[in-house]
Amino acid sequence: MLAYTIKRLLQGVITVWFIATATFFGMHAVPGDPLAADKEVPPEIWANLQARYGLDKPVPEQYVIYLGNMLKGDFGISYTQQNREVNDIIAEHFKVSATLGILAIVFAAFGGILWGALTALYRNRAPDIVIVFLVILGISVPSFVFAALGQLGVVNINNALGFTLFPVAGWGTVQHMIVPSMVLGLGTMAFLTRLMRSSMLEIANSDFIRTARSKGLPATRVFRKHQLRNAILPVVTVLGPSIAAITTGGFVVEMVFAIPGLGRYFVQAVQQLDYTVIMGTTVFYGAFLVFMVILVDLVYGLIDPRVRLE
Amino acid sequence: MSALLEVADLRVEFDTYGGTVQAVRGVSFELDRGQTLAIVGESGCGKSVTVQSIMGLIPMPPGRITSGTAKLDGKDVIADKRIDGKDIRGRLVGMIFQDPMSSLNPTMTIGEQIAETLQVHRGYSHRRAIARAIELIDMTRIPEAAKRASQYPFEFSGGMLQRSMIAMSLACEPSILIADEPTTALDVTIQAQILDLMRDLQRDNGMAIILITHDLGVVARMADEVLVMYAGEVVERGSVDDVFYRSAHPYTLGLRAAMPSNRDDAAQELTPIDGSPPDLFAPPAGCGYFARCPHAMRACETEHPRAFELGEQHRARCWLHHEDCNVDAGEVFRK
Repeated sequence: MLAYTIKRLLQGVITVWFIATATFFGMHAVPGDPLAADKEVPPEIWANLQARYGLDKPVPEQYVIYLGNMLKGDFGISYTQQNREVNDIIAEHFKVSATLGILAIVFAAFGGILWGALTALYRNRAPDIVIVFLVILGISVPSFVFAALGQLGVVNINNALGFTLFPVAGWGTVQHMIVPSMVLGLGTMAFLTRLMRSSMLEIANSDFIRTARSKGLPATRVFRKHQLRNAILPVVTVLGPSIAAITTGGFVVEMVFAIPGLGRYFVQAVQQLDYTVIMGTTVFYGAFLVFMVILVDLVYGLIDPRVRLE
Repeated sequence: MSALLEVADLRVEFDTYGGTVQAVRGVSFELDRGQTLAIVGESGCGKSVTVQSIMGLIPMPPGRITSGTAKLDGKDVIADKRIDGKDIRGRLVGMIFQDPMSSLNPTMTIGEQIAETLQVHRGYSHRRAIARAIELIDMTRIPEAAKRASQYPFEFSGGMLQRSMIAMSLACEPSILIADEPTTALDVTIQAQILDLMRDLQRDNGMAIILITHDLGVVARMADEVLVMYAGEVVERGSVDDVFYRSAHPYTLGLRAAMPSNRDDAAQELTPIDGSPPDLFAPPAGCGYFARCPHAMRACETEHPRAFELGEQHRARCWLHHEDCNVDAGEVFRK
């Protein structure tokens, strides 16, 4: 188990290095540079600035310097925001995005497992048909529509109550977090519901469920101890990629709800060719996702004993 | 003394997209304490459905038990629809299945799965149930029982899984063990070990066994009585000697001719039974075996044969035994 963990972590480091390299060269292949401003700059000043930031050196040399700094944990200073280190931007805004993302994935996972199990129990009856319809809606409608609908709902609730239960936008308190994380997790929850439903139905017809029933176990125990745990396995498998989908998809929801998350800086940096911020946010997100996928795989081993030894 | 299990006129149907399948059509049999009853017949003849309806394992819907009683110690278990810890399942009747590889929960240790039955039926504490589970594993001759109890099914071989299934089904000392093709998925040497184990445990515990199989070799080795099923009916029943040496139904003869033998004087070539079983969406009015029977007569097509008494226990559903039949039944069945 320890050897497996170490192996996975090493693989993760290689993946992150690959992400950094690909982003670095891809970014430099885009025409223009971060020093190009709206105002015409005299060529001498431009050359001085280039030298100041090391942009006059050949790209491979810049790459080596960059990797060296990255290993020291230094992602440099933003080109477009005055006196802000990339590390500060990440430290300040990532915790917002991470909180939102984690809440969303928890909401999606629990919701998906619950609704999926329910639809399987009520197969082809009214609750199943209604939930499956909603699931298709959840998968096909983009998150900004749900975000807008969510805000509308919040406004109506607040009006009906006469006080502000959930703020419409912004960040800071628990009430701020609930609606955006639900909106962000909705698509994933719909997807997981569908997966859980088919997994439950498959397990319900399996031989070991018949064995459990032949032992005379009460139906609730068969469901809880035999069906549910085995049915959850495929859901856990896709949790890793789901975390990726949620964190990268978080940008839209952050914009709509005016949440000061990292997503906004990520997108702005690309538009402005802010080299250091692009690199910093990409490498950081990449490392985070790789780590989450490894974590999910390790958790999988806790649920399914067959995976532990490999 | 009445029989341990008395099944009378059991009829089971299944609703499918193609119509209603009459899977079991009036099966009756008795099982005495400590006896082994073998149910033989080809796939789809209703063997498994018969025992599963006694156990209440038929999914309803689409299944439906339209008539019949199954009296276990005089109490009808088919009318008793409760599915709780007091149920007959696991407590009075234990069951093992064809494929041990898929019949155990892959995410639960073997010990836990055995202990579970004891916790539910006997109210044992977890610790006590696990201790008993280890004894049961040891009883089925799995070495290092204590270590094995904390392992998962994927760490076991097929034969050991079937042993664990036996340990599990016998946890509450049931009076009947139903074994639904217990050795079909295992290789031949393991088959012999499992059958020996079942027989030894039967001798020690005095339980009755219902053994479903399509392997006549297994029947000869294990059974006291035999039920030959065809197209959802019992076509012949009797002691193992009756059925093997005094076969009284053409289907039983056909099965025997299709079985390999190591006797020198036996025919070297196996004779398969031509054709396939009748469609149970619309079972034939007469004898179910009519279309494949080499001795079929006119009456067989339209008249449903009754069970003829041939000995104390021996019955066969074949018109050849009718006193007005002008074919010499003795001639047919001496072969």
